[in-house]
Amino acid sequence: MTRQKRSHHKLKRAVAPYLYLSPSLLIIGLLMLLPMVTVIAYSFQNSAVLRRDPSFAGLKHYQAIFDDPVFWASLWHTLYFTCMSVIFHMTIGMAFALMLNSDRINPTLRNILRVLYILPWLFTAVIIAVIWRLLLEPNGVVNSILMQIGIIGSKVEWFSSPQTALHAVTFANIWAGYPLFMVSLLAGLQGIPKDFYEAADIDGAKAYQKLIFITIPQLMPIIISISLLDFIWTMQVFPLIWITTGGGPIYSTEVLSTYTYKLAFSSYNLSQASASAVVILLISLGLTLFYIRYQKAR
Amino acid sequence: MAEVVLENICKTYGNNFHAIDQLNLSVEDGEFLILVGPSGCGKSTALRMIAGLEDVTSGSLRIGGVDVVDMPPKDRDIAMVFQSYALYPHMTVFENIGFSMRLAGKSKAERKKRVDEIAKTLQLTSLLDSKPANLSGGQRQRVAMGRAMVREPAAFLMDEPLSNLDAKLRVQMRAEITSLQKQLGVTTIYVTHDQTEAMTMGDRVAVLKGGVLQQVDTPKRLYESPVNAFVAGFIGSPSMNLFEATLTGDELMSGALAIRLQDAAFVRRPGLRSYAGRKVVFGIRPEDLYDSSLESGRKYQTIPAKVTSIEELGSEQIVHLNIDAVRVDSGDPDAVQDFGLASNAVAKFEPVSTVRSGSEIRLALDDAKLHFFDPETHLAI
Repeated sequence: MTRQKRSHHKLKRAVAPYLYLSPSLLIIGLLMLLPMVTVIAYSFQNSAVLRRDPSFAGLKHYQAIFDDPVFWASLWHTLYFTCMSVIFHMTIGMAFALMLNSDRINPTLRNILRVLYILPWLFTAVIIAVIWRLLLEPNGVVNSILMQIGIIGSKVEWFSSPQTALHAVTFANIWAGYPLFMVSLLAGLQGIPKDFYEAADIDGAKAYQKLIFITIPQLMPIIISISLLDFIWTMQVFPLIWITTGGGPIYSTEVLSTYTYKLAFSSYNLSQASASAVVILLISLGLTLFYIRYQKAR
Repeated sequence: MAEVVLENICKTYGNNFHAIDQLNLSVEDGEFLILVGPSGCGKSTALRMIAGLEDVTSGSLRIGGVDVVDMPPKDRDIAMVFQSYALYPHMTVFENIGFSMRLAGKSKAERKKRVDEIAKTLQLTSLLDSKPANLSGGQRQRVAMGRAMVREPAAFLMDEPLSNLDAKLRVQMRAEITSLQKQLGVTTIYVTHDQTEAMTMGDRVAVLKGGVLQQVDTPKRLYESPVNAFVAGFIGSPSMNLFEATLTGDELMSGALAIRLQDAAFVRRPGLRSYAGRKVVFGIRPEDLYDSSLESGRKYQTIPAKVTSIEELGSEQIVHLNIDAVRVDSGDPDAVQDFGLASNAVAKFEPVSTVRSGSEIRLALDDAKLHFFDPETHLAI
């Protein structure tokens, strides 16, 4: 009897963790894993979704997208858009965080700036897209100001010119995304003991030396974590580009997300769209693995 | 090495709070001075002003004869050991110790030579490649010392450097710091709230209260001749027992209590006669109270007392007592904890004493060791 009781208790203890985890595992399985597996399956089928009994296509759709120059342009645009966004998110976020953390700024002004700097974070991607479309219109505020101060001689069609469109959407995305870095780095800055700076003052450190030798090394775990997350998120940005340029003009702002969307819902080539989605998934997966490995190493 | 002189130093914060009021202090070349006082007495503020981490509101501050009031910390030729050690967690022990040399643009070879010397002195050689997180409290403390020593400063400033260590290690590090200071001969100003550290480490001790300097003297003189009731209560552990009594003839009277004073007491303190018929504060240290049933207590006069509780420490017993007298607060917030609710006096008895909690005893006191203070000003008589 006692032995029976003991083994029953052992079984309960062994099963309990899985029972606790099961609701979240079920949700993740249904909402994430199942669609992912389905998309992977579609990418190997001919006329996926459109036909009841699609035939096996092998790597045909992958071959097709790798042969498509627009795919390579999209990949390059995605990399440019993502890298520039992450670099400037970090630089601007760090500059603003340092400013907000400084004792030299009046506390009232600091509180006002804190609210102002965080504003972009309050808007959804659609609102941000609309704001920047209005601001960067040929007859918009930006052109008017730049012309008045003499930086440009004539109106620039920021979103409509292939030369400027990619820079313009990247700029809008930088504006929208820096607050995450700012808030995270500000929290990090506030966690650095004041003693470190005082000890450095006594040792004769100049402001830039304190930044290089104390602040940045202390913030490094945050910088790496947030940069990796930002890289993963920015690679998948869709609404901002879709609403501002739609990937145009002449594919000049086409990124992997808009390229895939167009394949799926403009050309109805769902199989090829799935192959493209799998490529995005693989790139994101690589970064995610890197992120997980970094987190484990800490 | 240099002399540190503070003249009429004041520190007032924006809310009109006077952290330091007219502080005059002269630390001689090579001297080990301890700044001691209860929490909030301004000792750390004073040290931070010397370091240049706090502005001086008024007064003059000289290090090695140079007025440093308007000088940034790096130009004052001082080194500081912080309470938290302020070791950079991302740097190794070598990098931490050599940080100031790196800032000064010294070559790696120069840094290595100097850091190796320091590490040898502090027995840190085998730990030079370790990060602070992998060191014990005592090792971190030594690294902090090394970082201060590497620059060969004119003066060391230490802000409660032992407060993060456990009791045993603190005793060991106390001795290490003292011998290191003697070996280096560098002027050292050391802040602590622990009066044991103050008494055992410094050449002289400056006692602060509420931003005002109370007394600067050798540990022995502070213990034997405190200038006021605060210093009397602050120095010594457990604190001195202070009571109010009326001086009647040559007797101290309080309730049923009568303590006869020897002529010597009046000879040593001529002012005491003028308190005849008036109230006076008298103090006696716990170590000058004895168990009258033991040999050590037989030669002294006795007063009745009730034992309320006993702390057995092995080498001695801390006996909490209640005697028929009104206890006087020395003004030291930390002293309150020495007394329980039912007791108003503390005595240190020999371990052989057989007194029991709750028993009525005769308490012997060495009247030659009594201290007297004015009841209004609390100044020593």
